[in-house]
Amino acid sequence: MNRFLDYSELPRIILEAVVILCFGILVGLTLHFQLVREVLEGKLIAPPGQHPVATERVTTGYPEPVDLQSVRQQIAAGTLLVDARIEELYRQGHLPESVSLPLAEVESRLPKFREEHPLQTPIIVYCNGYGCPDSFDLAMRLLESGYRKVMVFEGGFPEWEGAGLPIEAGE
Amino acid sequence: MERLLRMTYHLCRLLLGGIFLYAGLTKSMDVTRFAGDIAAYRILPYQWNYLAAATLPYVEFMAGLLLVINRRVRPATLLLALLTLGFIAALGSVIYRGLDIDCGCFGAGSATPGQALWRDLGLLVLAHFTFHLRNRFVPSSSRNGIR
Repeated sequence: MNRFLDYSELPRIILEAVVILCFGILVGLTLHFQLVREVLEGKLIAPPGQHPVATERVTTGYPEPVDLQSVRQQIAAGTLLVDARIEELYRQGHLPESVSLPLAEVESRLPKFREEHPLQTPIIVYCNGYGCPDSFDLAMRLLESGYRKVMVFEGGFPEWEGAGLPIEAGE
Repeated sequence: MERLLRMTYHLCRLLLGGIFLYAGLTKSMDVTRFAGDIAAYRILPYQWNYLAAATLPYVEFMAGLLLVINRRVRPATLLLALLTLGFIAALGSVIYRGLDIDCGCFGAGSATPGQALWRDLGLLVLAHFTFHLRNRFVPSSSRNGIR
């Protein structure tokens, strides 16, 4: 038998590979227990003024994803909706009371945006659905510029429209 | 010939193990940053990026360490080869979607997806030689505890 291609012990090798995998995962989860707990509890972004120092990067580093139902609850609670798509698409139709801040124009329009909306304003950014990275990139830019609670509605305009919810057009 | 094969085996094993040991170490230093790197691939649901970032470096580290110390070589190699296949699939999808991101393979500023894809194909070759040369030197009849 060709000893290079000796697979007689493959079941045991696979089993041991799974053990190594599980052990590595266990070590990682143990060493990063705090991070994992925050993730599982959905506390990726702490409320303003309550950032635990040791986990500040975790709690402020990335925008929190929110689904359609959460978006509707957040709107009722006064969260600002920001449309990251280009101005033309915004004019054709956008989520009610959302404001336009196209990613491509963020640097020029951000100073005025900051004047109109204080840094403690909770924000949900959306764009053209799951294939569209602009909402995530804009959310990162807003976090960098000092906004403390920024979320991303990944389903974006298509999911909102698909659910038969009202849409506004124009400026 | 036998000596050459043995040297090739040890070279492949140490290289493969060393690369993953280093990769695991650098990424475990800052898992939040690594979570951001994974998020940039836009493949996993958002929270899963953090879970993957908290665990993947340690799997790489463990398997790499086993290869370097020459223990459980075949299971560790198999695991790393499967991980590499997963990375190749992820990188392929990134290239297909035209995303311009950092691969995040070794922490900050490591490589473009295209470069990382070629590197991962090289790692697969190393894994292939490590696994099959190990088979040659430790056949199934062996029961000396070193695999």
